[in-house]
Amino acid sequence: MLRLPGFRVASPTTIAEAVAALAEPGARPIAGGTDLLPNLKHRLGAPTVLVQLSRLPLRDVEVRAGALCIGAGAVLADLAEHPLVRAHAPSLARAAGLVAGPTLRNLGTLGGNLHLDTRCRYVNQTPLWREALGGCLKSHGDRCHVVPGGQTCVAALSSDCAPALVALDATLTLHGPAGARTVALADYYCADGTAHTGRAAGELATEIRVPLAPGPRRETYVKWTVRKSIDFPLISIAMRFDLADDAVAAPIVAARVVVGALASTPKLVRKLDALRGQRLDDPATADAIAAQVGAQCKPLPNLPYDADYRRAVLPVHVRRGIAALVAAGENHG
Amino acid sequence: MTTPPDQGELTVRFLLNGEPVAVAVPPHWTLLEVLRYRLDLIGTKQGCDKGDCGACTVQLDGKAVPSCLVLGSAVDGRAVTTVEGLRGPTLHPLFDAFDHAVAAQCGFCTPGIVMAAEAYLRRLGRPVTRAEAAAALAGNLCRCTGYTKILDAVVAASERLHGAGGG
Amino acid sequence: MGDGGVIGRAHRKVDAVDRMRGVARYADDLKLPGMLHGRIKRSPHAHARIVSIDAAPALALPGVHAVITGADLPTPYGVIPWTPDENALAVTKVCHVGDGVAAVAAIDEDAAIAACDAIRVDYEVLRAIYDPVEALAATDVTINPYARAGNLSKHVDLAFGDVDAALAASPLVVAEEYFFEGSTHAAIEPHCALATVDGGGVLTVWSSTQVSHYLHRELAKVLGWPAHRIRVIQPPLGGAFGGKSEPFDLEFCAALLAIRTGRPVKFLYTREEVFLAHRGRHPMAMRYATGFDRDGHITAVDARTIIDGGAYSSFGLVTTYYSGQLLGAPYRLPAFRFDSTRAYTNKPACGPKRGHGSVQPRFALESQLDQAAVELGLDPIELRRRNFLGADTRTVNEFAIGSCGFLECLDRVEAASGWKARRPALPHGRGLGVAGSTYISGTNYCIYPTELPQAAVQITLDRSGRARVFTGANDIGQGSSTMVAVIAAEELGLDLADIRVIAADSDLCPVDLGAYSSRVTLMVGNACLAAARALRAKVVEVVAARWGIAPGQVSLVERQAIDQTDPARRVPLTEAFHWAEAKHGLLTAAGSYDTPRDRHGAYRGGTIGASPAYSFTAHVAEVEVDVATGEAQVIAVWAAHDCGKALSPRIVEGQIEGSVYMGLAEALMEAHTVDGAHGGVVAAPSLLDYRLPTALDTPAIHALIVEHPDAQGPYGAKEAGEGPLHPIIPAIAAAIYDAVGVRLRRTPFGPPQLLAALQARAAREAAGALAPHKGRALAEVR
Repeated sequence: MLRLPGFRVASPTTIAEAVAALAEPGARPIAGGTDLLPNLKHRLGAPTVLVQLSRLPLRDVEVRAGALCIGAGAVLADLAEHPLVRAHAPSLARAAGLVAGPTLRNLGTLGGNLHLDTRCRYVNQTPLWREALGGCLKSHGDRCHVVPGGQTCVAALSSDCAPALVALDATLTLHGPAGARTVALADYYCADGTAHTGRAAGELATEIRVPLAPGPRRETYVKWTVRKSIDFPLISIAMRFDLADDAVAAPIVAARVVVGALASTPKLVRKLDALRGQRLDDPATADAIAAQVGAQCKPLPNLPYDADYRRAVLPVHVRRGIAALVAAGENHG
Repeated sequence: MTTPPDQGELTVRFLLNGEPVAVAVPPHWTLLEVLRYRLDLIGTKQGCDKGDCGACTVQLDGKAVPSCLVLGSAVDGRAVTTVEGLRGPTLHPLFDAFDHAVAAQCGFCTPGIVMAAEAYLRRLGRPVTRAEAAAALAGNLCRCTGYTKILDAVVAASERLHGAGGG
Repeated sequence: MGDGGVIGRAHRKVDAVDRMRGVARYADDLKLPGMLHGRIKRSPHAHARIVSIDAAPALALPGVHAVITGADLPTPYGVIPWTPDENALAVTKVCHVGDGVAAVAAIDEDAAIAACDAIRVDYEVLRAIYDPVEALAATDVTINPYARAGNLSKHVDLAFGDVDAALAASPLVVAEEYFFEGSTHAAIEPHCALATVDGGGVLTVWSSTQVSHYLHRELAKVLGWPAHRIRVIQPPLGGAFGGKSEPFDLEFCAALLAIRTGRPVKFLYTREEVFLAHRGRHPMAMRYATGFDRDGHITAVDARTIIDGGAYSSFGLVTTYYSGQLLGAPYRLPAFRFDSTRAYTNKPACGPKRGHGSVQPRFALESQLDQAAVELGLDPIELRRRNFLGADTRTVNEFAIGSCGFLECLDRVEAASGWKARRPALPHGRGLGVAGSTYISGTNYCIYPTELPQAAVQITLDRSGRARVFTGANDIGQGSSTMVAVIAAEELGLDLADIRVIAADSDLCPVDLGAYSSRVTLMVGNACLAAARALRAKVVEVVAARWGIAPGQVSLVERQAIDQTDPARRVPLTEAFHWAEAKHGLLTAAGSYDTPRDRHGAYRGGTIGASPAYSFTAHVAEVEVDVATGEAQVIAVWAAHDCGKALSPRIVEGQIEGSVYMGLAEALMEAHTVDGAHGGVVAAPSLLDYRLPTALDTPAIHALIVEHPDAQGPYGAKEAGEGPLHPIIPAIAAAIYDAVGVRLRRTPFGPPQLLAALQARAAREAAGALAPHKGRALAEVR
């Protein structure tokens, strides 16, 4: 079978211990392990020490200071069913419940999902396979098989929770040797598939904060894959609409649409200001959003599925997501 | 290139099928490897190497997880239940239902499916529908049955375990 | 039928509880003292000459015991003895990414991996060809090192009747091209082999094989060891589906490394290696023309097929014949011609996957029938009825057909699906489709020439009242061990729990040819029946003599011998066995089965595809198409299968359900492809990338058993393991047509393919070239 490379493990029980352990060169944090371990079995990375985060007190979910605060170690299956998450961030609950399959959701954590390595059909295979390919920007090579001539790796952000949390204006707190810092998740990801998060070496993500909605809101997360379970997202769309009152047909006050599974960052869809005052149940609204998504989001042949097809149906899934919100009516979930 | 760095083996103490055990574990071994190749608990199967098939499903603190994606060292202080943990003087209702329905053909995926199903039925504590069973087992691949008789068996076992007249 | 009352009941399987509880030891569950772990170093090149191999750096590593290369195993082999064209490890050149070039034995897997990494191989890279047509045309590149005709692997051209004249005279000729994509078995258990040599110089190989006997023969040939010094054992097997039906590199490597090191050596494939070993469904490009008269009767079928074989022959000679030979039923074909060409390409070899060779042409032919039904304004089920071949007849290619329940299969799926009432009423986007098929219950001729029987079973009764059944048959999960137990119990009046089946151990069991071509129930069943009846006769004779009645008046039932003339007179079977053993000595009997030799065609190739008995199947699939996304969701499948006689109905249902599942998967999402633009890698070499449907992706499958007993089968039984796969692919295609009016002629019918077809139809509708389907213009629905 595929074997893991050799490494040591550290099992800190406090954040300070974890930060100290992560200071060692070649150290990597491991939370649920559902992304890191397959990648290491594929020899994508050779850490000297894995710092296990499972013993850290990072699993709490609470409402504090106007925000839903979620420990980075909270398990995805729990988040999907957590009453506070369902009440205050239903699109996140939905996204967490759509990650991989049921058994992996029992291991995977929110912090881990936000730090999933980017994925590409030309990378996530064995060393033999990558050797046959001749390597690439992300793995022992200097060429990109997705964008001919490309100099920047465009491996895809494959987190289901990241688009949802960016759409909800979430922040991420990290602890490092220099103390704690908090960043807007929207600013956390960068367009380099080989190093796509702002996590500095030695840093540890500890908490995700979602500001409570200032008023009535509808939000959803849409995922499409070939199978109804197990697969990474091929279409990934988070949408949030703040409304003037609590009817689904109320005028839109603010809209935020974030698309994942494109390149290395979640894509914030621009030019949605004209939606202010429009209504979700007006088909023209969905058409306008779908048109902007279609114009601004171009799925690439980085994921193992037909890119032209993904481009063609992305707007369809936007419209369907909105239609489902309208159909749910006053039922916020 | 694959020689483990010098940490030696770690002693991991955990509850295995209800019994406390202490096992020496190389740091880079998965729980699956520890179970199969150190402890000879061969009921937990290896199918895909990396969390894609569910054949290696065990219960960690009562929840179904793929043991190929858990480091052996990570179960220190926790409870691990394998398919061997469901053995007893009488046939567990899930085994009986699977046997009655002929839900195991080659049987290679069955221990993992039974562990996923057992965790789910225990958590719900009531009879389940086919659709619910299908969702609960959607991380476990079976190549023989088309799932038809597996879902029959899980529904039947849930009725026997948690039905109106059941215990 | 015997007296036992066992046949046709809903049995539990004799080995299921041990498998599901984790007690049964599959190949990788075996561990021997001092066991070493093996690993194979594989080629990163799709086509290259091996210049040199330097194993010294590997041998210098700690824990590495031995390294072998192709030079150590130079004898070529092949499961078909006429085409020995592969080596255990590449000798002169590698022919696809993943070809093995060296193998190591080391103290553990980590050391074995390190050793493989340390072996240095110099290659001279050669031009690789991934397209069969290009390969056939190439004059400068010969892919297979043993090829005798360039890149032509096999060509078959057979004609029955005057096809050209019949087509010319036909008022309707449907002529289309089809492409069936490759797919693979993906059994959940990866291949595994363990070998050891005992003090007496006997090599024992445990392997996850479905053909112990062929493995035994090829081990003897390649190792140069006499067969009597080799023992092959097949432990419980975790699925096969044709993917374990020939020898593989790991078995030879484990054996030779065990010989070289004097220690047991185990090899376990990674999942990627399973995809590289492949031997799955051949991609086929098919051009079909079928003629019809005005009433929908077929006048002729003309088929041309290009088969993409990959780098080696595997069963390819047979595949090439099967691509035409198995189309002769269940419809009457007045004239039939097929021209099939298999080419070598620089890809993992294709081979037999469930429904070997005939799933692809069946898709083409059934699609032709569906299209004809539309053009002729006939109900597709009615069109099939009109073309029914009948029972107890011969096909156009001279195969003798015995029982045939195809019409009843059609009736059953028509009724169960509500076809007549529902199909005309289904709205745009919903559709029902039908298809039929036939399959063999084994082949009349062994794959090597022999006068010996195809199957044999030995049964011994012991003094505790048990029966031990010894069979070489490979239980691969399909239930063959239960099948022989059921027959023994039926004849001997025992309970299933009283039967101990010892299977697939070449030291203990008589030879059986293996679990392939759906041969086991009919052939091994017949052998078991013969043995059980011989034993029964011994017991009954002794009991009858004691009671002073005729042997025909003794029943063996429910662990008792009973006097039919005086049912109060009875004796426990254990005691009856003692009486019989006292008279006859140890109670043992053997049964053999060989195939009839008068049921095939009198022409070259006329034996290939001829079977003692044929199963028949009809499916109706219900599909819902999402016209905006191109997703076709199968809502339900009704599958009626004529298995002759269901010895164990639940097991038969399971075979039907599993077949539908596997066919549905290749219809909708599975594809085993090689990426020629990226070094010739297998595009989806994991169970993440190669997507097997989960429980949430699988529709309700309604298995309907049809029983038309065949005189050739035990109690009339025919096969059930492969036939029920065939119709699902064309049935789904037909249902998609019924739903939205587009014909998909390439598999898989994935959303991109269906959406493109819908867009093409919408454009034609908009141009006025097509009337809206079911009265709804596509532009309107979208």
